[in-house]
Amino acid sequence: MIRAASIETRDRRRALALAAPALAWTAAFFALPFAVMATASLWRRTDTGFDRRPSLENYADFWSQSAYVEAAVNSVEITLAVTCLSVLLAYPLAWIIAVELPERYRRIALALAVIPFWTSYVVRSYAWSLVLAKKGVLNGWLAAWGLGALDLANSRAATVIGFTHFFTMLLVLTIYASLVQLPRNLRLAAADLGASRFQTFRFVVLPLTLPGVAVGAFLTFALCIGDYVTPQILGGGNDLALPQLVMLQISRRADLPMAAALSVILMVLVTLAYLAMARWMRPR
Amino acid sequence: MIRFALCSAYMALIYAFIFLPVAVLALFSFQDGRFPIPPFRGFSLRWHAEVLADADLIAALVNSLLVAVASSALALALGFLAARAVATGALRGAGMVRAAITAPLSVSYLVIGLGLLASLNLMGIGLSLGTVAIGHVVINTPLCFAICSAALGPATANAERAARDLGAGEIRVMALVTAPMIMPALLAAFLLSVTFSWDEFIIAFLLSRFDVTLPVEIWSLLRSGLNPKTNAVGSLVFMLSALAVLAVELAAARRK
Amino acid sequence: MKTTCSLMAILAGTTFMATGALAQELNALVWCDHTDDALIKPFEEKFGVTVNLKEYEGTGAALSLIEQSQPGDWDVLVIDGIDVPRAVSAGILAPLPTESLPYDTLFPELVMAENHVIDGQTYAISEKFGYNTISFNSSAVAADALADMTALWGAAPGSLAVYDYYLPVMGLVAMGLGLNTADLGMDDLPAIEAALMKLKDNASSVGEVVASQTAIATGEVDILVGGGEWVTAGLVSEIPELDWIIPDQGAVRWSQSIGVFADSSQPDLAVEFVKHVLSPEGQAALATSSCYWAMPANAAAGDVMTAEQKRALRWDDQAAYLAKAQLYPAPDADLDAAMQDVWTRFLAR
Repeated sequence: MIRAASIETRDRRRALALAAPALAWTAAFFALPFAVMATASLWRRTDTGFDRRPSLENYADFWSQSAYVEAAVNSVEITLAVTCLSVLLAYPLAWIIAVELPERYRRIALALAVIPFWTSYVVRSYAWSLVLAKKGVLNGWLAAWGLGALDLANSRAATVIGFTHFFTMLLVLTIYASLVQLPRNLRLAAADLGASRFQTFRFVVLPLTLPGVAVGAFLTFALCIGDYVTPQILGGGNDLALPQLVMLQISRRADLPMAAALSVILMVLVTLAYLAMARWMRPR
Repeated sequence: MIRFALCSAYMALIYAFIFLPVAVLALFSFQDGRFPIPPFRGFSLRWHAEVLADADLIAALVNSLLVAVASSALALALGFLAARAVATGALRGAGMVRAAITAPLSVSYLVIGLGLLASLNLMGIGLSLGTVAIGHVVINTPLCFAICSAALGPATANAERAARDLGAGEIRVMALVTAPMIMPALLAAFLLSVTFSWDEFIIAFLLSRFDVTLPVEIWSLLRSGLNPKTNAVGSLVFMLSALAVLAVELAAARRK
Repeated sequence: MKTTCSLMAILAGTTFMATGALAQELNALVWCDHTDDALIKPFEEKFGVTVNLKEYEGTGAALSLIEQSQPGDWDVLVIDGIDVPRAVSAGILAPLPTESLPYDTLFPELVMAENHVIDGQTYAISEKFGYNTISFNSSAVAADALADMTALWGAAPGSLAVYDYYLPVMGLVAMGLGLNTADLGMDDLPAIEAALMKLKDNASSVGEVVASQTAIATGEVDILVGGGEWVTAGLVSEIPELDWIIPDQGAVRWSQSIGVFADSSQPDLAVEFVKHVLSPEGQAALATSSCYWAMPANAAAGDVMTAEQKRALRWDDQAAYLAKAQLYPAPDADLDAAMQDVWTRFLAR
């Protein structure tokens, strides 16, 4: 009895020792910086340095400046549009690859769908600016077919297209993963019981893959709302997003406290999205 | 038949969308002249040659590789050990541990980078490639942890127990039993981490000083004058990575 | 196989260079025009040192970087001329030994003692200057149409782009409204903001250096507000139609100054670097850098530059231009914050 207890203690200690490095790393380089940010968001920038007496003035400033609130609204709108579009574009492709395609083509089809991942993130956004430019490739083709030009460059549309491109690739992967986990028999059984193809999809496949979709959608939301590069390169200075505002504080005003406050606001938005997803996912 | 046509059409459209920017980039990297707009004025390898001759870009490429491999190796070690700890079932508060380790997944890289910048500054640690690697370990550890956790199951637990009963020490169990059993997952986690680190911009931008990684060097290229080298470096990186992916695919196919 | 070998050789070479860099190092915080080998290599070879360069854009970014550094991290600073007093009062810069610097051949307007000399000590020296004014494509817009800056408020929608830096563009707009950049105050901001918003309504984009250059070079826009020789001079050999004009109301003159950090661990070497940048050869390389071209502050550079380069920079018109231009606005902290707020609203519009 005593011996059993000591083995249990030993196993527990051993497990803790295994988890300790990762926990320590996360504490030192993730939790601590986060706490520093939250604290710094209560400071104020002064002419010579920081006023470290805690106050909520940065948050009040945020709220009182319509351009700042607007940037947060822009970010949420862009991110929601991107998340919905990407899911809608990615799901059918993942479905085709996982279900319709003969098995031997699956791997190569999947690999093809994500190859542009490796172009380098910064360059990908820039490449879209070449495609969408007023005198760019897309308008060149449209003109060649006798169609009118599209004015997509330097706008929210450009930002959304650039983001959607990236996250469609990401979501094809995650949705594919949840689709292949579905036993084929489930669909066959539904068909045997007289369900039409649409009914099988609506009442069997979709509910079972929804958790995978939701996780992918949340990841999309979190990554998209925090991204600086895409709106900076594709937005053309016409549609300010929250991360751009954060970088403006850092690179133009040397105002770390305000940047920290805006980052906290960014995190609040991500948390809200997470709660929304968790609530939506809860079995009813 | 209609179904087949619909599927093919959809695939064609989406693949066109996915490849459009890459194709345009590659096309203009061969553009003769400085302007990346139609019409295509002629074929030239000048920009590719300039990229290969650009010592800063090549140095940044090497830096990126170093940071990616080092940070992924460390992240994999941390993630693997922690995943094993959780998988043993002996850990008290395993749910909390899991939540704590995976928390960085849902936090924007910008926020992680800014927080690290402020705290490194407070600690008096100067910025370098090392600090970039620290940031990349933060974002990659949860990933490695999640992938390893998914791979560890009853099968590995049983094998470990058997090895222990036969007198193997903890380190030998891990190195000779667990790791080989989940080797595909370890490899996948490592490669995914390398990919993420290789492509990561904002943390590397905020936490680097003179030695920068490739995305940061490309960013400064983009900001310092109209320069078609950007197209060339983008398409070169793409071709290199595509070849690597293809090689992995072929190797996997042959093994079957 | 051969390419693999050569790639490996390159990799090995750079790693070796990176680890072999035990020689003395000089750390400089600069704008992107200081990174060409043509400027840096001769100095490195002459003194057997390595020059580490960190690029930034805008004084705020530089101050951010300095705040995030440890004392002694930096040796040389390149900064907007108007921000030198700010840097001096923050204790960043050390006095320069003036006797070894080429004051006798500096353009007189670039001595700028009111900015560089504080309490009898000289803290920085001008190295490069130019104008934030209006660049345009002469095949699409006639120069006469832009002579009156206020015509821009009613330019054709989508025909112009704006350079994304608040100080010069707000200064330029202020001059268009008949104000002096040196006297700007809080009361002037509403009128400036109103004019800016009219600009924004007609602008297709607001972008940094490359985005601006690309927009005008590819014909996406015909006019670049805030542009100047630094946008067009490097491109005219390929697109001769690119031109720039200083409107009747005048334009904003920018200037960069170079100085040595107060806590530099090797001030002598840092001063040598300043002297190198100010030498005729250094000035010529700086003036024609791949990032952007602009006038060298030391007129002696004219002797080593080609006639074509000087023509692209309009060397011979400088006297007239200097007379028409005013310096960047140099706001105090409160006005600066208010101006940035205006600019944020401008971007968000």
